[in-house]
Amino acid sequence: MAWREKTAWITLLAMIATYGAYFSLISQAHMSPIAMLELFGGLTVALTICVIVATAVMAVLAGRDARGQPDERDRAVARRGASIAYYVLLVGVISVGVIMPFEEQGWGITNAALLVLVAAEAVRQIVVVASYRRSWHG
Amino acid sequence: MAERRLVNQIKTLRFLAGEMTQAELGDKIGVTRQTIAAIEQGRYSPTLEAAFRIASALGKRLEDVFQWTE
Repeated sequence: MAWREKTAWITLLAMIATYGAYFSLISQAHMSPIAMLELFGGLTVALTICVIVATAVMAVLAGRDARGQPDERDRAVARRGASIAYYVLLVGVISVGVIMPFEEQGWGITNAALLVLVAAEAVRQIVVVASYRRSWHG
Repeated sequence: MAERRLVNQIKTLRFLAGEMTQAELGDKIGVTRQTIAAIEQGRYSPTLEAAFRIASALGKRLEDVFQWTE
């Protein structure tokens, strides 16, 4: 497995666990805005630490594979992931910024914006993993 | 029109070049071992520059390494 596929898996799984927990909690329990921000911030810090530690451990196990610069295939895969995630972000921003204000307000919009960011990043990582698995190199 | 595809002889030529490993070839041309494996298996078509680098590293002409076949 390519090194950058491994890091994409780590990031994707950590994101699903942390932000899955966040959006699950805020949809079930009534929370104050400060509590929501603290939860989101705390989970983001926890996610960052988990990804750094897991990547460091994987780098030690991977040896020289982890020390190399991205090559042309890695860059092609990364471009594909970013370009597809851009459309998710675009549709999300239009939905949250243009359509949602007619029906929602305040923290509903804020959380929807956070969800759009998380979804776009998750799609980017999914496309990266799928591109290595399925040999898609746009 | 018949579908054509890019095939290559990298695996054979590596063997003939002193049993060069995928990692050694990758180091010579600046790509990872996994990318060489993907090219060999036809799962990734390299850029023209990388194709020339591979041919050069194996001491062959481009058309000896890569063929465009039906």
